[in-house]
Amino acid sequence: MSKVAKKAKSKEIKAEGKKYILRLFIAGDEPNSKQARENLEKLCETHLKGHYKVEIVDVLEDFKAALENDILLTPALLVVAPEPATIFGNLSEKEKVLAALGLTGGEV
Amino acid sequence: MITNTYKKQTKRSPTMGNELPKAATGILGLDEVLNGGIPVGRTTLVSGGPGTGKSVLGLELLYRAAVAGQPVIYVTFEERPEAVRQNALTLGWDTKPLERSGKFFLMEARVDPESVLSGAFNLKGLMAIIDGKAKAMGASLIVIDALDVLLRLFSDPAKERNELYALHDWLLDHSMTAILTVKLSKTGNVSSRYEFLDFMADCVMILDQRVVEQITTRRIRVIKYRGSDFARNEYPFVIGRNGIEIIPVSTFGLQHQALGKKVSSGHKRLDTVLDGGYRRASCVLITGPAGTGKTTIACTFVRAACQRGEKTLYVNFEESQEAMLSGMLSPGIDLRPYMQNGKLQILTAMPESMGAEEHLIRLIRAVKTFKSDYIVVDAISSCRRMGTEQDAFEFIMRLVNACKEQGVTVFLINQATGFTEEQEISGVGISSMVDTVIALRYIDIGGEVNRMMLVMKARGSKHSNQYREFLITDNGIDVVDVYVGEGGVLTGAARQEQEVKETTERLLKQQEIERKEKELAQMRATIEVESARQQEALLTAELEVEQLKLERDILANGQNKRGIMRGEDADSERLQSASARPKPKAARQRGGGK
Repeated sequence: MSKVAKKAKSKEIKAEGKKYILRLFIAGDEPNSKQARENLEKLCETHLKGHYKVEIVDVLEDFKAALENDILLTPALLVVAPEPATIFGNLSEKEKVLAALGLTGGEV
Repeated sequence: MITNTYKKQTKRSPTMGNELPKAATGILGLDEVLNGGIPVGRTTLVSGGPGTGKSVLGLELLYRAAVAGQPVIYVTFEERPEAVRQNALTLGWDTKPLERSGKFFLMEARVDPESVLSGAFNLKGLMAIIDGKAKAMGASLIVIDALDVLLRLFSDPAKERNELYALHDWLLDHSMTAILTVKLSKTGNVSSRYEFLDFMADCVMILDQRVVEQITTRRIRVIKYRGSDFARNEYPFVIGRNGIEIIPVSTFGLQHQALGKKVSSGHKRLDTVLDGGYRRASCVLITGPAGTGKTTIACTFVRAACQRGEKTLYVNFEESQEAMLSGMLSPGIDLRPYMQNGKLQILTAMPESMGAEEHLIRLIRAVKTFKSDYIVVDAISSCRRMGTEQDAFEFIMRLVNACKEQGVTVFLINQATGFTEEQEISGVGISSMVDTVIALRYIDIGGEVNRMMLVMKARGSKHSNQYREFLITDNGIDVVDVYVGEGGVLTGAARQEQEVKETTERLLKQQEIERKEKELAQMRATIEVESARQQEALLTAELEVEQLKLERDILANGQNKRGIMRGEDADSERLQSASARPKPKAARQRGGGK
C-alpha cells in the first residue's frame, strides 16, 4: 500500500456510534506533555469528532489519580471506554495510538 | 552538582561537623560495614543478580525504620504488593499494621505489559506519586525496588540514563534518603549499561550469591561511599529467620577481652597439668584421632561448669543429642540433669545442611540468646563439609572472634585423621587463634595401645610440657604421670613392667649395699681385734724386756756389793768396763738406790 493511499484511508477512519472517554495524564507543561496534548487534540478532531470526551489530569496537581491508574510514566493516555487501554508517550506515533483505539481496521 | 549537594547536606546538619549524616539501617552488621549507615538525603544503589537479597535488604531497612516510627515508602516494579507482604511476613515483619497507621506505604509500580508506547515519555508520574505520598505521610525514606524493570521500557540507553539522572536529581532535591535496587545479569559484574548508576549514587553496594560445592553463600560488598569511609571487604551474609545478618570479619579482633581467670577443667590432675585450669575467654583446642577422649575431656569440663551454675552451649556436628548424652554415660558423665535445669544446651546440625554463614549466625545468635558462658564445637574438622576449607576456616575464625569478644570461652574439638598427627594439630589452620592446645594421641608400646596427652600451648600460663598418660575410666578421665626413661615415654603395661623392673632393681641394690655394709663392719671388727692382740704382744714384749733388764741389774748390783766387800780396786778391769757403759751405770745407780 502506498503512503498516499494509506494516508487517505486513515482519514476516512471514523468512530461510528461509539463514545470515546479519554483521560490524558500530563506533568505540568514539560515538553512531552505539551506535545501529547497537541497530538491528541489533532487526532481527536480528525478521527473522533463528536464522539469523544477528553479529561486532562496534571499529575503534579493530582498524584492520587496517577496512583489509582498506575500512571508512572507521563504523558499517558488512558482509554476508559469503549475498550480500556493505556498509551504511554507523547503520542507522536499516531498509528500505534489509532491501533490502541481500535481504529486501524486491523492494521497496525 | 554533587559538590553542591554535599554542601547542602552538611549545612543541614551542622552538629555533625564534616561527618556525613547517616541513617542506621538496623540490619545486623551492615551499619558496621557502612561505618554508621546509609547517607541521609542521598541515593544508595544496591545491585546484584536475581535472588541475591536486594529486595529483602530494602524491605528490612524500611520495616525497621517504620517500626521505629519513621514513615517509609516501598515502590516495587517487580512484585505484587501481596507477595511483598507475604515475603515480609516469613521474615517476621508484619507490614499491615504499619500500613494502616500510615507508616508504611507499599506501592506496586507496575507498567501494564499490554500498554502501548507511543513517543517520548518520562518518569514524572512516578515522581509525582512519590512526592504526593511522601508529603502526605511525612516520609523521607524510600526504596525503589527493581528499577531495571522500569528502565527496560526505554529503548534508548541515552534516554534511560537521562531519566535516571532526572529521578536522582529529583530525589536529591526532595531530600529523600533513597535506596534503588537494580538487578544485574548473572555474570555479576556491573554491566556497562548501568555503570553510570554507580557513578550517580553516593553509596553503592553489590550483592552476590555463589554456589560452591553445593553450598550457597551470599556476599555483600560496598564498592563506593562518597565522603565516607567504609569496610572494603566482601562480607558473607545470610537471610535468616530475622532478616539479613552480616558479620564483618575485619572489624573483629580488636575488641577481644583479655584472658580471664583460671577455671577448673573438672579434673584435679588435669588442672595441675594446666597450671590451675583453662583461662576464661580463651580458646582451647582439643585435638586427636577418633576415640582418644576429646569429647570426654570437653564433657568433663561441661559437667563441672554446669555444677558451678554456668551455662554451656554444646554444638555437635558429629552425633545426635541422644547419642552424645548416652555415650558420655560410659565414662560416668551424666549430663542429662543439666539439660533439664537449662544449664546445658546441645545444638546439633549436619554441617552440610546449610552454608557456613548460616551456621555461624545461628551459633552466634544461640550464644547470645542462651547467654552462654562456654561454647564447645564438636568437631571443627567436620566444618569442612560446610563448603570449602576456606569456608571452614572463616567460620571458625569468626566464631572464635565473636565469642572472645563477648568473653565466652571456646572449646574446639578437632578430629585428627592420622595416627601420628602432629602436623594436624592446628586443625584447619587455626592455631594462631588458639590459646591452649590439648593434643591427644595413641601410643603403641609392647603390643598395647594407650592414650597420651600433651598440653602444647597455653597462652598466659605455665603448663607441663610433658606427655601424660591419659585414661578414660568408668569414673571419667584421669591423667597419670608418665615414666620417662632411656627408652622414652612408657605407658600402660609397658610402664607397669618397667616400674616393677625398676623397683626390683632398687631392692637388689639396697640389699647389696646392706651386705657390703655388713662386710665392712666385720672387717672393721676383725681389724680391731687384731690390733688389740698385736698391742698385747707388743706390751708383752716390752714387759719381757723390762724383766730381763731388771734381772740383769739385780745381778750387777750383787757383784758390786761383793767387790766392795772383797776390796776391789777402782781401776780394776771390771769397774772400768762398767763405767764405760753409762746405762748400766745408771741402772746400777738406780738399782743401787733401791
